[in-house]
Amino acid sequence: MIAPNQNLVEKQRKFEASEGLAEVLEKVRACMQCGSCTGSCANSYAMDYTPRQLWRMVQLGLKDEIFQSRTFYLCSACYYCTLRCPRGLPLTQTISALKRLADAEGITKHKASMNFYRSFMTTVQQHGRVKEMEFINRYFLSMKDPLFPLGFAGLGLKLLSKGKLALEVPKFGGPGRFDALFAKIKELENLP
Amino acid sequence: MINKKIGSVLVVGAGISGIRAALDLAEFGYQVMLIDKAPHIGGTLTQLDYQFPSDHCGMCKMLPLVERDASSQYCLRKGLFHRNISLSPATSLVGLEGEPGNFQATLSTRQTLVDPAKCSGCGACADVCPVVVPDEFNAGLTNRKAVYLPVPHNIPNHYVIDGDKCTLCGACVQACPTGAIDLQLARRKEFRILVVDDELIVRDSLKEWLAEEGFSVDMAESGPAALAALARNEYNLMLLDIKMPGMDGVETLKQAKELKPNLPIVMMTAYATVETAVEAMKLGASDYLMKPFDPDTLVHLIFRLYQDLIKTGEVKLTVGAIVLATGFKSYDPAGGDNPYLYGLCPNVVTAVEFERMISGSGPHPGRLTRPGDGGEVNKIAWLQCVGSRNIREDKNFCSSICCMYAVKEARLAKELSDGKVDTAIFYMDMRTHGKNFQRYRDKAEQDLGVRFVRSRVHSLGQSDNQGPIKISYIDPAGEKHEEEFDLVVLSTGQMPAAEAGQLAEITGCHLNHWGFFQSQGFSLCRTSREGIFLAGSASGARDISESVVQANAAALAASSLIHGKGGGLTEVSSTKVEYRDVSKELPKTFVAVCGCGQTLTNTVDITALNNSVNGLPSVERVYHGEKICVEEGWNELVQELRQSNANRVLIAACNPYLYTRKAQELARQIDLSPALIEVVDIRTPAFSGAVTDRKQHAQNITRLMAMGLARLREQESAPVRETHICQKALVLGGGIAGMTAALAIAAHGFEVMLVEQTAELGGNLRHLHWTLSGESPDQLLAQTIAKIQKNPLIHVYEKAKVVTSVGHVGRYLTTIEKADGQGETLEHGVTVIATGGLEAQTTSYAYGQSPAIMTQHEFEARLHDGQLTPDSLKLVAMIQCVDSREEPRNYCSRVCCAGALKNALYLKEKNPKIGVVIFYRDFMSHGFMEAQYTEAREKGVILFQYQVDRKPVVTVHDGRVSITVRDIILDRDVLVEPDALVLSTGIRAGDNAGLAQIFQVNLDQDGFFVEAESKWRPVDSIREGLFFCGLAQSPRSLAESVATGEAAAMRALRILKNESLAAGYTVAEIRQALCSLCEKCISACPYGARSLDEETGRINVDELMCQGCGACAAVCPNGASILRGQHDKQVFYTIDAALQEVF
Repeated sequence: MIAPNQNLVEKQRKFEASEGLAEVLEKVRACMQCGSCTGSCANSYAMDYTPRQLWRMVQLGLKDEIFQSRTFYLCSACYYCTLRCPRGLPLTQTISALKRLADAEGITKHKASMNFYRSFMTTVQQHGRVKEMEFINRYFLSMKDPLFPLGFAGLGLKLLSKGKLALEVPKFGGPGRFDALFAKIKELENLP
Repeated sequence: MINKKIGSVLVVGAGISGIRAALDLAEFGYQVMLIDKAPHIGGTLTQLDYQFPSDHCGMCKMLPLVERDASSQYCLRKGLFHRNISLSPATSLVGLEGEPGNFQATLSTRQTLVDPAKCSGCGACADVCPVVVPDEFNAGLTNRKAVYLPVPHNIPNHYVIDGDKCTLCGACVQACPTGAIDLQLARRKEFRILVVDDELIVRDSLKEWLAEEGFSVDMAESGPAALAALARNEYNLMLLDIKMPGMDGVETLKQAKELKPNLPIVMMTAYATVETAVEAMKLGASDYLMKPFDPDTLVHLIFRLYQDLIKTGEVKLTVGAIVLATGFKSYDPAGGDNPYLYGLCPNVVTAVEFERMISGSGPHPGRLTRPGDGGEVNKIAWLQCVGSRNIREDKNFCSSICCMYAVKEARLAKELSDGKVDTAIFYMDMRTHGKNFQRYRDKAEQDLGVRFVRSRVHSLGQSDNQGPIKISYIDPAGEKHEEEFDLVVLSTGQMPAAEAGQLAEITGCHLNHWGFFQSQGFSLCRTSREGIFLAGSASGARDISESVVQANAAALAASSLIHGKGGGLTEVSSTKVEYRDVSKELPKTFVAVCGCGQTLTNTVDITALNNSVNGLPSVERVYHGEKICVEEGWNELVQELRQSNANRVLIAACNPYLYTRKAQELARQIDLSPALIEVVDIRTPAFSGAVTDRKQHAQNITRLMAMGLARLREQESAPVRETHICQKALVLGGGIAGMTAALAIAAHGFEVMLVEQTAELGGNLRHLHWTLSGESPDQLLAQTIAKIQKNPLIHVYEKAKVVTSVGHVGRYLTTIEKADGQGETLEHGVTVIATGGLEAQTTSYAYGQSPAIMTQHEFEARLHDGQLTPDSLKLVAMIQCVDSREEPRNYCSRVCCAGALKNALYLKEKNPKIGVVIFYRDFMSHGFMEAQYTEAREKGVILFQYQVDRKPVVTVHDGRVSITVRDIILDRDVLVEPDALVLSTGIRAGDNAGLAQIFQVNLDQDGFFVEAESKWRPVDSIREGLFFCGLAQSPRSLAESVATGEAAAMRALRILKNESLAAGYTVAEIRQALCSLCEKCISACPYGARSLDEETGRINVDELMCQGCGACAAVCPNGASILRGQHDKQVFYTIDAALQEVF
């Protein structure tokens, strides 16, 4: 049962009270749970909640459960759901908004995913592309756990054997090639 | 005898609603011009063989029931004839001037290049035509030629040429035996086109293509050169390139327009300059062509412009009113994103294509085969909401009809395959919002095994183009499934008719956001312009019965307008026709044999034929005409007949349907009852296959003629009897439907007795205070009651009820008990039952246990009188389908979802912070109501879908209401504690049993009155003269109740306008001496036309009610019951004639 003894409206009010969540809610309010998004989603098999369920949780104001779910982190932004939604809802944008909110809220559960994204983007900012070795090193460092990389050893060897990982010396620090671009986006998005 | 013209009406569109409106008006006595842009009548219905709920066609049930002989009495899909209707196919309304009551309409008829007066439909032209293109009639599943029959079953059926596709080879002209085809090559040559382009290659190829099409082409290489050419010569069209050095296309256009303001100019543009082309259109260009263009597109466009210019003379017509019945266009799934691979994968078809696939006149008569490879069909999927409920494509409306037609098609597929085919319908909400829809659906699911899958399929993927198609979908629980189907049917929605935009411009009527005509206020047929009315899907998605009701209503509105404007309705001469009395004469038959060109001589030994026919009894003379179906031949026949003293006429020609109108004309011309003119078909056997024995063939044909002669010999010529009509109406029920009907009848000058059982008029309208569309029901109530009170022709009896009623159409005697307990007997010619319905009461969901639980009406009343205010409420919950859509009340009340939406939006508007939760099963926001459904969701109304086996559970503790419901998507229970719980209990029938008994009509299992036919006669009872409207018949909205009130009035007025009314020639009679009063015929009569007269001890037949079906004659054990024109002697003599050679 969803939060017994608590009024549904109060839940919603609380949800709407947060500016970021209100924006998310606004995006999916017209959803009628047809399931086109879930049917289209390539990653839904791995999600704990399907995209349709996620929108439903947003409609019902289930904030804690949304942020405890890993659904939005598994979105690979292929935009299929957005293209196929008969209501024309900006679903991929909604997912991005949730990712940003989860980051802002600093939810521990998503620390690894967040660091992964951040490492990826920092590398892109530096070089204008992904440098696998640098990216993976940034990611490992950001996790501040010496045992953490061991979990990836198997995958790493596999990638190396297939020549998918270039053995380059990572470049940390110094100005990045895309600094100006990233700064402009920050400015446009009005981010700190 | 000719009717004095009493005003005329133009009906645009000859589909169901157009035909219905035209017939209503024609039956009332107006002259009707019925036009259709297609070269045939019938609209979409020509393609549909089966209609829900009978799964048969029943279009003929629209034919007139009284004065039947004024009209054809055969299949309406084949054709229509009524003496007051002029039919003009391939015709459009192109101009409109004047004012309501006196419009000047300009009509333009497209050329078909085949003269219908000469074409005999033999098909020799199509045999030789070399062009093969997809056939629209079979939705592209089969092919046709460029010269073709638009609808194969039309009668008369004339070939037409698709000028667009015709290559002008002239083969058909050579082949036509009657010289009916004229390709008008000279006219094409006169059509001069100026091609302006700076590139020589473009100019040259254009010239080549256009010259091939028979047009004259000149060329200019620049703007100035073009202007010079224009000054020199007259042109009919200029093709103008936009990008040219020096003077560009736009500048040339401006100057050319000054020089020749009426010259159509088509711009040619590359993709990059499309915007310039659009600008050019604003400057007066007719159209634009995008480069690189292919010859087909070019020729199509040029041909359209050419056709516009050469339309066979525009006709101006003065009409009092106009009915727009332009219907709809099916959504084209190939446009837009096309996620369902339509047009790419042959095994994906539209619903119309599926209807053609299972049709006897379809590509594989009646057999289900896979279009891709002709393989067996074992599994079929229907995908709902294709082109509907799709905001991405700006289609935020529901097409209303697709759910039911998908269920029908699935049932038909089951039936065709003896249940072997697996059928699945993928849907979001199964909208069964009409009378009997829910039970029809349940039967499909429970008894026939049609699968209903609640899931929207987002797209299709398939590996093998010809083979099965893979559908992957998510069930409500979130499980992913994959299934393969042999055939996928797209339930495509109703879109505005292609010409709606143009017609809106011509008529000045407003369109709504989606391009349908906007109806006004509580009327479904009024447009923004007085004098122009809407019928059928012109104003939004409609099913057949809605189309019929609204066509009735539109006809009424047109009639009221003309009547109000003094359209000369004062004098209607009787339609009675007296023919020469030949009953004392011996039968003398004039036999006219049509040779059908050379056909007969080619296959039959004429001398042998003459000898044998001359030897038949009663033959006066045998006349041979070469072609009596064409005008000359016919005139010659009439001349011959005038000189003859025969008293019977037998025409041996082709299909008797062709001669319905002609036989009636002939009857007047030679002063002989049409009953004594008979047509037999000798053409079909004359054409049949290779003839080896011409003598034998002559005998076969003689036998057919002998049968006709035998029938004629015994035919009675007694005139059709007339029944006196008491020109007053009784309306039972003073709700909005009854009041509307009463006002409409009184507006035509007839007295109305309006009987209301309560102390005040208004009925359920008193419970409504606001509507979804924003109009005020309170205002409607006040205005309507004021009009009733002011009208001297309407007598209101309040607190009165019907005690008994005797009589039948034309004259009823009904006794009512009035408020003071006194009885009064009213005499009237027709009865309208509008006794309404009630909001159902319930004990479900803890109703009665807390003041916070109330019905939707009670909620609206409390909000209205201030007992509840939106501000004082934090959370309101509503439960839909309370005790509805499951036995014993297994029907959708149609209005509750609208009511819930209306009140939810009202609450949200007054208090945006309020929480509103609606628990529903299938949300029935059909039609444009879908937009409000979206709006409610956008405003934060939370909707929970529940399943009937897991309803919300309501408990009350200390007056507090708690609801637990399973959220299907999350598969978890949700607790809702509202301040108010509103139950949508729906509509139940009133206590109609007494009335049903008094008027001898039936109630359905839910207590609503049963109409004669749910689709085709939705407001008629099975007994002529008795009509239903409003909730008495089935649940419906306010605007729909008004429409049925208007419809019932129109149906009643057809009868009321006559002082006396003739039945048809073919009616039942009784030989009283043989009758043993077993009364079997009374129960056998499906029209309630028979009754036992207790006083005289005789069975009576009401000739107006009798439709000549012959059920009574079949059931009568003594041969006392007979059918005029079909009596035993006639039938036996006919059989004898047929078998003469055998025995």
